[in-house]
Amino acid sequence: MQDRIGRREFVKMTGAAGAVLAGAGVQPPAGQKPAPGPDASERDIVLLALDAAKSAGADYADVRVVRVNNESVSTRERQITNVGKSETYGIGVRALVRGAWGFAATRDLAKESVVRTAKEAAGIAAANSKINPVKTTLAPAVKTSDGRWMTPHQIDPFTIPIEEKAQLLFKTNEAALGVRGVRFVNSSVSSVRDSRLLGTSDGSLIQQTFIRIAPSVNVTAVSADNSDFQTRNAALVPMGAGWEYVIGLDMPANVLRWAEEAVMKLTAVSVTPGVWDVVLHPSHLWLTIHESIGHSTELDRALGYEANYAGTTFLAPPAKVLQKFKFGPEFMNVNGNRNEPGGCATCGWDDEGVAAQSWPIVEKGILVDYQTTRELVGSISEITKIRESHGCAYGQDWSSIPFPRMPNVSLMPNSRDLSEEDVIGDVQRGIYIEGDGSYSIDQQRYNFQFGGQAFWEIRDGRRVRMLRDVAYQARTPEFWNSLALIGGRRTYRLGATFSDGKGQPSQLNAVSHGCPIALFRNVNVINTA
Amino acid sequence: MQNTTTRHGLTAPEARELCDRVLRFAKADHTRVNIESGIRGFTRTAVNRVTTAGVADSLSVTVTSVFGKRVASVSTNRLDDAALQRAVRDAEELAKISPENPEYLPELGEQQYVAVDGYYASTGELTTETRARAARLGIQAAEAIKASASGFIDVQAGSTAVATSNKLFAYYSRTGVASTLTVRTPDGLSSGWAGDEGSDWNTIESSRIAEDAVRKCQQWRGKTLLEPGKYEAVLEPAAVGMLLENMMGAFDARAADEGRSFFSKPGGGNRLGEKLFDEKVSILSDPAEKNAETSPFTGAGLPVRREVWVEKGVLKTLSYSRFWAERQATSARPPAGNFIMSGGNATLEDMIKETKRGVLITRFFYIRSLNPRILSFTGLTRDGTFLIENGRIQRPVNNFRFNQSLAALLSSIEMMGRPGRVANEAGSVGRPIVVPALKVREFNLASISDAV
Repeated sequence: MQDRIGRREFVKMTGAAGAVLAGAGVQPPAGQKPAPGPDASERDIVLLALDAAKSAGADYADVRVVRVNNESVSTRERQITNVGKSETYGIGVRALVRGAWGFAATRDLAKESVVRTAKEAAGIAAANSKINPVKTTLAPAVKTSDGRWMTPHQIDPFTIPIEEKAQLLFKTNEAALGVRGVRFVNSSVSSVRDSRLLGTSDGSLIQQTFIRIAPSVNVTAVSADNSDFQTRNAALVPMGAGWEYVIGLDMPANVLRWAEEAVMKLTAVSVTPGVWDVVLHPSHLWLTIHESIGHSTELDRALGYEANYAGTTFLAPPAKVLQKFKFGPEFMNVNGNRNEPGGCATCGWDDEGVAAQSWPIVEKGILVDYQTTRELVGSISEITKIRESHGCAYGQDWSSIPFPRMPNVSLMPNSRDLSEEDVIGDVQRGIYIEGDGSYSIDQQRYNFQFGGQAFWEIRDGRRVRMLRDVAYQARTPEFWNSLALIGGRRTYRLGATFSDGKGQPSQLNAVSHGCPIALFRNVNVINTA
Repeated sequence: MQNTTTRHGLTAPEARELCDRVLRFAKADHTRVNIESGIRGFTRTAVNRVTTAGVADSLSVTVTSVFGKRVASVSTNRLDDAALQRAVRDAEELAKISPENPEYLPELGEQQYVAVDGYYASTGELTTETRARAARLGIQAAEAIKASASGFIDVQAGSTAVATSNKLFAYYSRTGVASTLTVRTPDGLSSGWAGDEGSDWNTIESSRIAEDAVRKCQQWRGKTLLEPGKYEAVLEPAAVGMLLENMMGAFDARAADEGRSFFSKPGGGNRLGEKLFDEKVSILSDPAEKNAETSPFTGAGLPVRREVWVEKGVLKTLSYSRFWAERQATSARPPAGNFIMSGGNATLEDMIKETKRGVLITRFFYIRSLNPRILSFTGLTRDGTFLIENGRIQRPVNNFRFNQSLAALLSSIEMMGRPGRVANEAGSVGRPIVVPALKVREFNLASISDAV
């Protein structure tokens, strides 16, 4: 079977569901290290699966061979709690037959198994096509016959010995435990290497290697009589980067501040609920952006595809809101960006072979576009005049079907390079919030409520004392239209998560959000005590 | 064991053979092998059509190697000898260079387990076509009222096994299925939801799910404003399950003893033996609960038995790791595998009749911890919220965000229904939850959600 489809035939194959545009060819490596190309045997497997899916009736198919390596080291106080490594490796085949999808995946990469799996995907698609009234079509994509990309990084975290990672965490814990009142510290570092080879029946063949790293420190202070405890999570940012990023965080030195703040929270003033101005640090604001802008501008939600779990969005139907809905003030600009340096959703191509790009979602305060895939972009093309996908398809691993997932979605900084002090200076009575805490938002992304890690009262343009038990509750359109001032490029930071859940079966996506520090007026603050 | 022709996941002899194969490669002081194997099939619908469907097999082997108190784990999904040898070698090398874990206790030897059969052929043999037919029922019911159906059927079948170099071997096979359906009006102004979850496909009532989701969607049409506030509340079983599932992690003795839990006693220690909830509240877990079975052993091979966590409102048990149990001179008790709550005989209609002014809640969404010291959580109502006045449902109302202490909730129970297994928020096969409908004196609906 493997020999039935040669290189030339493969490149010639065109999905009936979507035409192929002029080729992009080999992409230059984006990082300091050259991006590796595909392993020959994996390439053969991908071609074999594509051939089998096509032979079984697929009008279009895409195949992913994915190997994900995880490594984690976790500690509490002066001891290890976990050291682990895992590897998962397999193949997933997605087939489109008469406008219906089918998906099958297996860990068994033997030829017979790969062929059987590809046929099963086509068989499931054929079965579903019989009961589907609407036929899926795909937007065209540029063919990339030899794509290569790797996360820019200097030090592969998998080359750093476990002992070295543990010693860094112990040193961090020890420093925190030296702060009077601190009783517990948990710390960890997780590293991910995700190597995926994508082949599509459009003729694309793309090898990508993603390196991501997530350090974490959480300090707990307990009152002397055990009547109260408070935690301060460092809100360290997961990053598409190497070990050099963790070194740069200098956790053993910086943990002192987090530890002191955990202790301070025990005796801090409990917030007076009511209407406050809030100044949101990027370590906090990223999550508010993620929940209220990131998820509300997913096109699949607007079209009803996620109605049963994650929900729909208030930004629907697209025809009513695109280029009309006023999301925020005129200085508010939000971009989808697959090229964000250090971003967890940064890539060379998405899981449908669409090249990484940056595009405006909110421009001068107005909603102008959504996050799109090849399947869905056609539903808004008449309005946006954009006929190609922005490249937002992603499957968590080989066993997961690709579907619309969030790219890095970032709030652009002020064109004037205002500092944090400039922004705080514009507040008479307010609360400064740092770090993400409790978070919850409704299924159409209207009503949200967010806590944080450290809260400071602002009086007359200065931070004056610590507060505790703070959360704010707002409605997305009013909240973003209360945005009064944003910091400049110098305050711009990324926030991120490795585990944004969506879909059924639920899949995780790693994603970042960049933003400057920002001031919002007249926000409803509650007391959580 | 239920009769089956095709069982997914490794059989017990296959699992034992694989464990033995791995253990033969091992050179560490102690070695543990964990195996997970099986399949997951799913059918997903939205806007009245199947949007995706698929199946994936899986098999993972995790090797835990121990030298003294140095411990590390490596997992792989490759089964050839070379890959397994590499996994063992990697785990051993990793363990040797890992710092000591002073809390490590030697691997367990042979144990006695409760006999549990959680594998149902009805679920294991479910085909793509059967799932599609069940999904079709939801689509047809929605089409009949010119509405839109979105649903999910999740099927998992497989086995889990653990073996140690101290001659422990344990094996368990199980199935699980969840089916949920949301029906929305085309104008986007009303939405209804229903769902089931079980080990046995024969307990999933696809027609009733379709009828209930359609009925909710129709009843919730024309919702009007209700101000936020503290209301009496009637919580349907799914709402109770989604809420109370969140308190399971709190039953941890160590967190309580260390002063960082609702169950911590001011001044030190924990609140075992204290009456903390209404006396109608009993909470237990039982791996052998019919249609809500769970593994009778933990990943380390520790037996999981029936436990009563709360009895008549009194905290009776907390979970103890082996280390913490030894330290506190008691026996180890793993965390609950499932959540089973006591009930009563009241129907939803009885509860509504007894409500002067309150809110009927169908289910919740996006529940997150707010303040662990008082077990408070925030989240939102969804897919059918109604005002009850003078014993009758008066009108559909807007959704709310709630900020509510579960401890306070469990102290304000007035009526309870018959417990049953409920679907979870994600609509996927998850930890089995068996709970009743509840009528509570007070529920804090803190702000309005415009979401539908």
